[in-house]
Amino acid sequence: MAVAGRSVGGALAAILGREGLREDDAARAAAAVDGVVPRWVARPATLEQASGVVALAHDAGLGVVPRGSGSALELGRPPARADVVLDLGGLDQVLEWSPDDLTVSVQAGVTAGALAARLAAHRQLLPVDPPGAATRTLGGLAATAASGPLRARYGTLRDLLLGVRFVQADGVITWGGSKVVKSVSGYDVPKLMVGALGTLGVLGELTLRLHPMPESERTWLVRAHDAAAAQAFVDGLLDSAIQPSRVELLNAAALEACALPGGAVAVAVSIGTVAAAVQAQGEALVALARRTAAEAAAAPPDVWAGYARACAAPGGARLRVATLVSEVGAALRAAEAAAADLAPGIGARVTGCAAVGTLRVALPGIAPGAAATLVERLRGLVAPAGGSVVVEAGPRALREAVDPWGPVPPGPLALMQALKDTFDPARVLNPGRFVGGL
Amino acid sequence: MALSSSVLATLAEIVGPDGVVSSPEGRLVYECDMHTFYKGAPDVVALPRSAAEVEAIVRLCRRARLPIVPRGSGTGLIGGAMAPSGGVMVGMNRMDRILEVDLPNRCATVEPGLINLWLTRAVQDRGYFFAPDPSSQMVSSIGGNVSTNAGGPHCLKYGITVNHVLGLEVVTGAGDRVQLGGRVVDRPGYDLTGIAVGAEGTFGLVTAITVRLLHAAEAVKTVLASFSSIEHASEAVSGIIAAGIIPAALEMLDALMIRAIEEGIGAGYPKGAAAVLLIELDGPAAEVEAQAERAAAICRERGALDVRVARDDAERALLWKGRKEAAGAVGRLAPTYLLQDAVVPRSKLPAIMREVLAIGERHGVQIANVFHAGDGNLHPLILYDDRRPGELERAKAANEELLHACIAMGGTVTGEHGVGLDKAKNLPLQYADADLNFMYRLRGVFDPDRLMNPGKLLPAHPACGEGFRPARPRLPAGAWI
Repeated sequence: MAVAGRSVGGALAAILGREGLREDDAARAAAAVDGVVPRWVARPATLEQASGVVALAHDAGLGVVPRGSGSALELGRPPARADVVLDLGGLDQVLEWSPDDLTVSVQAGVTAGALAARLAAHRQLLPVDPPGAATRTLGGLAATAASGPLRARYGTLRDLLLGVRFVQADGVITWGGSKVVKSVSGYDVPKLMVGALGTLGVLGELTLRLHPMPESERTWLVRAHDAAAAQAFVDGLLDSAIQPSRVELLNAAALEACALPGGAVAVAVSIGTVAAAVQAQGEALVALARRTAAEAAAAPPDVWAGYARACAAPGGARLRVATLVSEVGAALRAAEAAAADLAPGIGARVTGCAAVGTLRVALPGIAPGAAATLVERLRGLVAPAGGSVVVEAGPRALREAVDPWGPVPPGPLALMQALKDTFDPARVLNPGRFVGGL
Repeated sequence: MALSSSVLATLAEIVGPDGVVSSPEGRLVYECDMHTFYKGAPDVVALPRSAAEVEAIVRLCRRARLPIVPRGSGTGLIGGAMAPSGGVMVGMNRMDRILEVDLPNRCATVEPGLINLWLTRAVQDRGYFFAPDPSSQMVSSIGGNVSTNAGGPHCLKYGITVNHVLGLEVVTGAGDRVQLGGRVVDRPGYDLTGIAVGAEGTFGLVTAITVRLLHAAEAVKTVLASFSSIEHASEAVSGIIAAGIIPAALEMLDALMIRAIEEGIGAGYPKGAAAVLLIELDGPAAEVEAQAERAAAICRERGALDVRVARDDAERALLWKGRKEAAGAVGRLAPTYLLQDAVVPRSKLPAIMREVLAIGERHGVQIANVFHAGDGNLHPLILYDDRRPGELERAKAANEELLHACIAMGGTVTGEHGVGLDKAKNLPLQYADADLNFMYRLRGVFDPDRLMNPGKLLPAHPACGEGFRPARPRLPAGAWI
């Protein structure tokens, strides 16, 4: 139904209070998503307020773009509508932490950094470490399925999100999953919410599985003369009894960006466990590196502090590539070659979790047209194995030139459309931004 | 309901005459899973050999509007693989091939009827294993494990089935054969694989599964500690976790269970102990060595009567034998039992165990306990003799009270067995109407005509009915229209 802007604003103010609603030009411009300027910026203080905003938007036929810290707003297609930007940063309470149970329940706006600071008191951690995680919200990390080097050992939020409270597209607050580490009571709804970009529900509260911080941790930098040698080392490592917590590939430009000793390509391998086992596995690792024509040396203790720099792409674009573990070396080489061909001199930074077959390609300063061609070329390379290339960040022009998600096969896409039609038929939540324009 | 002869004839055309079980005696075999309370024989059983045959069966059932019930080995504990409203049961036992082992990518693709342990046997000489290890793993099928999202003693460290499934081929309730996920871990879009694992056959029939394989650990050590009380044993569990140790498995047995096992198979558990902890550590040798020592020290600090480390594989196997055959051993104590699968937060173990004792006393039933202490997953066996009037009713009442107690402590009604027919009625304890309604609509996405395994997983509850909408937030009246 048609609703006059002024009266919707009044209703939003009634829900949110004066301090929770901004409709001035400055606030609206600052909250723009891909140049789409919202009419309102809502910052709820409670989940009930968030629910009220979504219910109102639903009834008034408005589009809602949920946001956390705002660091991943370039993921996905430009929004079809963005009438209300729903800023969840105000939902920043740790609700319940039970160290004995290794679980924590938080509001979606808590940042990974704030949570980590709390958890350190009991030497526990949430092992989710994409670049820049410290300032990102947990809701945003879950909605974007963000991951970093630690997924080699701990998996992703898919494995760590036990329960989730979310606001459905019509405003109904809903819970899925459980608050204990093991539950098969009903469908595993949290799985549906990880990586869904808030298109099936706005994430409000998360219950997460924690891990103990290892007693001791060290990282070795294994330098290889080319990607094939790095792949041979990775294959040997994964086929051994060594249990690494990170197996991160870094190409020459990425090594340079984090001020690590140079080389064509390196694999940074962390081992975290009891001190004696770190020592023993480190020795095994060095021996393995020698056998596979690579060279291993202890990395500086702060090696991961600079990791975000290896993934930064100022003025350019950043891609997520998923392929087979056995193909990561080849994918790294292909990404470098394509960048050298299409955008010579930019110094493409390629990093990635060799243990699971995911790469991140940072292309500083690349022009949208060149980036689009590069994306298509990489897609062609990884498609036969069932791989994908997603534009994680980049200008709107790039994400209009290529589908930032890439193709989804017809069978799964039909099910995804049916999910969206079932849970958000009016296209309230993040309209147009997800795969297939959902 | 009697099936028309044309349906039977078409089924025989699809799966061959040797793939159709339609005699009353034959169908009786399929009337229940291992939760023998719930009985319902299908009108016919079809035993396909390929995904194409499964697809044809689903299409036939859709045309004839017949319920479809999948079944693996029938070892489920929830009244899942049985047919309360008749229809066509699809037995996956003849689809038991390993389609591909891809060790460089540490995964394998298998058919759903493959027995869990057979996969590990096929790859163990090359140093790999399939991690989910329900106690039934010698007979249960991987398709059944996927459907119930099965756990097992080692899921404390390794996670449950969903953490090991990369992809599924499914014939949905709509009759479409769809590949979800695959060997590559990440893919754009909703995690359809993740949501389909544990759907208990209500989304469709799984026809192929791509699973992770893990590299075998360098070393394994099993520690056994006995305690004079459940409290002390529970404190040791908390102490081990607080020390940053995540054992591969952390199991507890109570006095009654210890007695039953010792009188039965004689696993070498100390007699007279009120609780036994079985702690298994695996990983790099140096890590296992250090953590086993630390875990043993924690048990001693918490007043263990006796702490032993299995000296060799034979002794290790014997310690585990007792645990794995616990459910059978209670046969010495009573002819029948109800098995519970609720979970509490680990920190609530001492409190819930006191409650279990009290509940048993209140209802005059014996309750033997064997459980996954590391993740708070209880398996109380409520013993009864159904030849004695009133015992079954008392056991059922104790069972219900126990579930309520677990939920009140922040737990869940099932940790690893699944919901099935057995616990569907209990879901409203844990979920509000809005939550159930969400699940009900989710099911409809995959099975729009609700032919798949009807009556399972979701309760017959107002929130699960057509047309039900949960309460929405109240909007400011009049202000904006």
